[in-house]
Amino acid sequence: MVAESLDDVPVGTTVRVRDVTGADPVSLRLLEMGLTPGVAIRLVGKSPFGDPLELEVRGYRLSIRRQEAARVAIGDR
Amino acid sequence: MTPSPLTVVLLGNPNVGKSTLFTALAGIPTRVGNYPGVTVEEKLGRFSHRGRQINLIDLPGTYSLLPQSPDERVVVDVLHGRMADVPRPDCILVVADATNLERNLYLATQALGIGLPVVVALTLSDIADRKGIRINVDELSRRLGCPVIRVASPTGEGIAAVRDHVLDAAGGPAPRQLVIEGTAASRGVGRPPAAAEAIARYDAIERLLAGVIRTEPARGGIAEERIDAILTHRLWGTLFFVAVMLSMFASIFWLATPLMDVISSVMDRVSSFVAGLLPEGAVRSLLVDGVLAGVAGSVVFVPQIALLFLFVAILEGCGYLARAAYLMDRLLVATGLSGKSFIPLLSSFACAIPGIMAARTIENRRDRLLTILVAPLMSCSARLPVYLLLCGAFVPERSTALPWLPLRAVVLAGLYALGIVVAALVALSLSRTIFRGPPQPFVMELPSWRWPRPAVVLERAREAAWSFLQNAGTLIVAISVVIWALMTYPHDERAIDADVAALRSSLEARVAAGGDSDADRAELIGQIESLDTAEGLAAARRGAAQRGSFLGRAGRFVEPVVRPLGWDWRIGCAAIASFPAREVVLGTLGVIYNLGDLDPGDAGATTALERRLKAARWDGTNRPVFNLPVALSIMVFFALCAQCASTLVVIGRETASWVWPIVTFVYMTVLAWLGAFAIYRIGLALGW
Repeated sequence: MVAESLDDVPVGTTVRVRDVTGADPVSLRLLEMGLTPGVAIRLVGKSPFGDPLELEVRGYRLSIRRQEAARVAIGDR
Repeated sequence: MTPSPLTVVLLGNPNVGKSTLFTALAGIPTRVGNYPGVTVEEKLGRFSHRGRQINLIDLPGTYSLLPQSPDERVVVDVLHGRMADVPRPDCILVVADATNLERNLYLATQALGIGLPVVVALTLSDIADRKGIRINVDELSRRLGCPVIRVASPTGEGIAAVRDHVLDAAGGPAPRQLVIEGTAASRGVGRPPAAAEAIARYDAIERLLAGVIRTEPARGGIAEERIDAILTHRLWGTLFFVAVMLSMFASIFWLATPLMDVISSVMDRVSSFVAGLLPEGAVRSLLVDGVLAGVAGSVVFVPQIALLFLFVAILEGCGYLARAAYLMDRLLVATGLSGKSFIPLLSSFACAIPGIMAARTIENRRDRLLTILVAPLMSCSARLPVYLLLCGAFVPERSTALPWLPLRAVVLAGLYALGIVVAALVALSLSRTIFRGPPQPFVMELPSWRWPRPAVVLERAREAAWSFLQNAGTLIVAISVVIWALMTYPHDERAIDADVAALRSSLEARVAAGGDSDADRAELIGQIESLDTAEGLAAARRGAAQRGSFLGRAGRFVEPVVRPLGWDWRIGCAAIASFPAREVVLGTLGVIYNLGDLDPGDAGATTALERRLKAARWDGTNRPVFNLPVALSIMVFFALCAQCASTLVVIGRETASWVWPIVTFVYMTVLAWLGAFAIYRIGLALGW
């Protein structure tokens, strides 16, 4: 698989977070919500209009927009 | 001597059962309001335990103690004792969701660093059991260094223990901080300190929870998975969403109507009872037409507010509110709003007031304000009588060019669409200009499905209705009294006599001159004959009094401004007089056209008004005042204007500022004028 960030993985796949890019409040909030490097996340689904995304991370469901998902780099650490 | 009361704060993530725990500990809150200067809700309660009074403060739900929003800043300020009028807490009661412990401990471990005693309540423990989540509470308590108590609201498990531990811990030593340094911290190298801390903290939580929590194969989890699969399904999930939203809308649009009718008829009886007690005169008029009319005008909103908040609380309690925002987000983002704006805006089609209040569920300040500013553009139920009367009187049923087109329905649909389109454009332009700013994170938890707690749901509805009556109701009554005074004074008997005499002679002159259609001629003769009846004369005198009042004079004063819209001063006057509420315009038109007070719900009264309007002529000419372009111009004006004092009052209360109601009034009035002008000119140009 060649997906680089979370906004282009297929629904249903589980991936590992490699990094969250950016140093602004948005990136900090993603980290605070548990999207830290190394954590496993599953793309549960997409909203009917394709955005936002529904994720499962650390045992709970989280919704983020594609724009934010693009900051989440995935793959091996 | 009684010991001084203790202050305990409830701290937790959103949607973790904080309100339920608050109710279980302290019952109905003693005070709900805003922190000084900010629109962040302050909720206080009180209970006694072992002879000691404990004041409980419910803090807004927050994910982190590194504040990013005004709500989170308030939380941090209260915890550090920096909030005016709030004593420094004696103990932090952290509310953590047992079904989602890892992320909830993020905030809990931050709380350990504040330097205050901490007690952790593990809420939703019954649901965690059902899901097969096993937590070793004693070991967790030992590792965190503070008491940890299992709480389950259906059985009341743990409530007594929470009271005991809070009392024991309060004022005592603070627990040690969680060590988040060590090898893990090195992973944060090269990052901003806050980001490095977040990563290290999660690493520490993972170590802390190792051996404390284990998940067995779920027993009851299958059903939840199945519900989830249906409710998030592309087709079924969307259909379910539409059904839920339709029933919510139907309930505030139709279910509230009988309740509102009951309130109106009770208020009518109170008014006639009071009127019967007092002699005719200024005092009676002030009480009945000013004060009681204002009370009726605010109480009448209560059913819609209570019903909407009942619905919102149920949706929030089940975890569906966030799901609705998730489904609608993409559509609303296109206009600069967010998915959470959907329910407030949808509700505004019934009435902007509950809609604006429902914007409280939008945590993001900018999105909330934008939603509040455009909500009054949705065509509310108060505009409908205005649309129906003018459509019925002046829009032909069929157009000659397109005979298959149901013209009235098209105009009506167009007016609703106009509100939506203008709201989208306003939201878009505001979000690109004065609300421009750094991107706001849309990071929203989708809570797991659960049953709402009836006590919490009812409390939300009660609280919303009560806060409206308390905060907005009084101001609405005051505005009603001011408008009453402007419509009543000055009161000059001789001027009224002269006005009625002039009315009679102008009607007689018009009949003598001929040139009217048979229908109009019959209407004019009817008007002259009615002046000889006591009732008709009283109505004409009432019209004369209103025409001579400050408000009537204001109508003449603004005539140059409304002339380009095709309006005469009477329409201008009715538009100004409708400031308390749009639907008042029909009553005011009735009075101005010498019909006296008429009930807009009465078909006979509205057809009488229709006939009067059709027979109306520009002063001193034979040119009809009302025709299709004028009717369209009035309807477009009312679709876009902010002639609803109650809405402006609620905007003021909800934003804790007088700037936003003024901004709303100005921008809507300008748009309404421009829209009315455009449609009038188009209508004239096309020869409608």
